[in-house]
Amino acid sequence: MDLSLTETQQLIQDSTRDFVRNDFAKEILLDLDEMPALMTSELWTKVSQLGWMGMAIPEEYGGTGNTLTDVAVLYEELGRGPVPGPLFSSGVLGALILLKTANSSQKEAWLPGIADGSRILAVAATEKHYGWSPAHIAMTARRNGEDYVLDGTKLFVHDAASATDLLVLAKSESGISLLRVDANADGIAIRVLPGFLSGVTEVTFENVRVPSSDLVGIEGAAWAGYDAALQSAIPVLCAYKVGACQALFELCVDYSKERTQFGQPIGKFQRVQDHIIHIVNYLDAARWTTNEALWKLDTGQDAASSVHMAKALSSDGYLRSCDFAHEVHAGIGVMREYGLTLHTKMSRSLYHCLGAPKFHRKRMEGALGLVQA
Amino acid sequence: MDFAIEDSAEQSTFREEVRVWLKENIPEGTEFPVDPGDLTLEQYEHRRELGRRLGDQSWLYPNMPTKYGGGDLPVEKVVILHEEMGRAGLSLPPYYDAGGRMAAPTILVWGSEEHKDRFLPEICKGRVRSWQLLTEPGAGSDLAGIKMTAIRDGKDYVLNGQKIFVGSSHGAEQSWTVVVTDPEGKRHHNLSWFMIPMDLPGITVVPMNLLTAGGEGGSGCGVKNTIFFDDVRVPAENLVGGENNGWKVATTHLEMEHGGAGRLGERGVIKEFIDYCQDEHHGHNLLESAEARETLVDLYIESEVTRLFAIRNYWMAHNNHPRSYEGSQYSLRRKLSGLDIAEKILEIAGPYALTNDEQYGPLKGALELYGREAITALHPGATTDIQRVIMSRRIGIGRQDREKVGALR
Ligand SMILES: Cc1cc2nc3c(=O)[nH]c(=O)nc-3n(C[C@H](O)[C@H](O)[C@H](O)COP(=O)(O)OP(=O)(O)OC[C@H]3O[C@@H](n4cnc5c(N)ncnc54)[C@H](O)[C@@H]3O)c2cc1C
Repeated sequence: MDLSLTETQQLIQDSTRDFVRNDFAKEILLDLDEMPALMTSELWTKVSQLGWMGMAIPEEYGGTGNTLTDVAVLYEELGRGPVPGPLFSSGVLGALILLKTANSSQKEAWLPGIADGSRILAVAATEKHYGWSPAHIAMTARRNGEDYVLDGTKLFVHDAASATDLLVLAKSESGISLLRVDANADGIAIRVLPGFLSGVTEVTFENVRVPSSDLVGIEGAAWAGYDAALQSAIPVLCAYKVGACQALFELCVDYSKERTQFGQPIGKFQRVQDHIIHIVNYLDAARWTTNEALWKLDTGQDAASSVHMAKALSSDGYLRSCDFAHEVHAGIGVMREYGLTLHTKMSRSLYHCLGAPKFHRKRMEGALGLVQA
Repeated sequence: MDFAIEDSAEQSTFREEVRVWLKENIPEGTEFPVDPGDLTLEQYEHRRELGRRLGDQSWLYPNMPTKYGGGDLPVEKVVILHEEMGRAGLSLPPYYDAGGRMAAPTILVWGSEEHKDRFLPEICKGRVRSWQLLTEPGAGSDLAGIKMTAIRDGKDYVLNGQKIFVGSSHGAEQSWTVVVTDPEGKRHHNLSWFMIPMDLPGITVVPMNLLTAGGEGGSGCGVKNTIFFDDVRVPAENLVGGENNGWKVATTHLEMEHGGAGRLGERGVIKEFIDYCQDEHHGHNLLESAEARETLVDLYIESEVTRLFAIRNYWMAHNNHPRSYEGSQYSLRRKLSGLDIAEKILEIAGPYALTNDEQYGPLKGALELYGREAITALHPGATTDIQRVIMSRRIGIGRQDREKVGALR
């Protein structure tokens, strides 16, 4: 047993941490938060040049073919920001879905662009009847001559506002199919939803024609590959939340030393200590379930129950760590300029993304053999 | 015991009177914005107008003595006024007025006859609304650790310092505050309580950008501010309760702010959400899932306990029952159940709960606001930790003597 990072991973961690600290400093994150795309083109160019977008993509398609654990080390650092924008949607979720579902010419055509950052994917799966199982896909892809025609609404789609391409799940005659669509194709409207949300959109399709060459993989058979890709992508998203909880933890420990009330640092009050202990417990539960899930995936073991467990714990843990961080900070924490609320908003935005805790707990019943799957 | 709020003949006549009166007297354009931070000047002025009209009826602060412009009404009638205002989508008072809620009862306890005559009628008649200015950058939980000073100079005190997280939108006629009058004095014996006209030279109000505008109140709180005092001269006769006696004076309104006065009719959004769940939205019913139903029951229970604590405290306060930990218990409960309910809403309604989009945001965005407000509301008044500290002292956990409640009327 060796639970330490490899040398490569250590390098990824150090360099990313520095980069995030400087190029995604709090003031910059507060500015990005005001932009619909949550990213500037300068920053996107920089992160692309650093090779971040290609880490999960094999070398033959222009990436660096890193392990999921390597990728997760990167995302843990991004979560500390929290760095917003389409990095995960494109470079991890979108890329892994294409790897599992696309045919080789499609992979050759699309993956190198994702790896170099020129192509940005967003995954349009969820709809008004919100959920992450096949039963929640109602939108249809109607065959019409050589094309498919998409009509309907995808809702709570992450990062569509900055995407060049959408990966759309829709029902066709023979089952659930996946289509790649230009985000600015005729008939598509993308609208960022306002509220306690970050980068979440409504995408409407009105008579959108998609050539059959953009049908990803085999018609009607997308779900299995898509779901398998999600199982690999989820722990990377969990790692992002782990990084976020780590940042909250450090922020609170620092504040508990700086802030004095009643003539002493607030960290001396056991009640404040309790809040921080809650955070570190959530953090470590999320961290180690995530790490084990990544290890299982990287070594080809059955990872289902570990993945579901990590997602349930990290979504809950991030949400509640924010709540406890607010208790520690009191007034100053709700001032937007302080930066804590960036996490609070992100913890809510990502709570349901790729399945809320209850959904994953439910799927664990099957993964653990408690019920017939 | 009788929980029923069943009107007697006299009460139902009063209710009818209130209804008719409100119908005739609520100015057009008084509607509540979903987010109190969005309260426009016009809406605010309509509310002030309503406040003055209520004041002329002695209904604005119906339990204050008639001598000072209140109504001296029995609790049943006060309840009716709150309920009928609630039915009209308003609250009593219909705008943020920490003065009527907390300063007036404090002046009643600590003020001289001259203070009472000068300050109370204009508050009760709705001519003056006022803000509470306690917190400073260096002093939140530790209120006695404030640094702002008021130094005697002839007939005035000269005020210098900064307050933070205070007030509301669209100004106030007056503010009240606790400041240091004896910089060399012992902790708790160095403070004094002042009423301050807000048009004095040297006062600068700077709005803050917070996660949600408000805080306590549900009465269109508006945006919190930082307020700077630079050599502000306040007449000495505005010091209430005696020089260096401000800490004692403050215990009265702190007691009220910590929930000691109780509260009526609070469950608005919760009730609306439960109703919302029973209808179909976007082609689908949230309560199809057994888990959602279970969570909704938990949410309901959570909100009911809080509601009953509030009613208990209200009943105790208005019948002069001896109290100890109950105020802080209610406040603590409301803060924690707010967070818990927000999380349950998130589970039941999914990401819909997070948007105030016109098309998708449930309850015109009120649900989205609830999620943010649950976090902001952890802090005003006193944090959950401080409420636990107070409860422990009042119960006498680990100590011989039980701390006493602040002086209330
Ligand atoms: C929306 C909003 C509205 C507000 N409205 C007003 C207003 O109208 N007027 C006004 O004067 N103020 C107002 N406040 C300020 C509010 O009263 C303070 O924020 C609150 O009392 C906490 O003070 P603080 O923010 O300085 O936190 P701190 O006191 O610095 O607390 C930081 C942490 O230390 C803990 N802590 C501190 N002391 C102890 C202790 N003895 N034991 C255990 N734990 C302790 C706290 O619980 C918290 O976890 C408002 C604040 C907000 C956010």
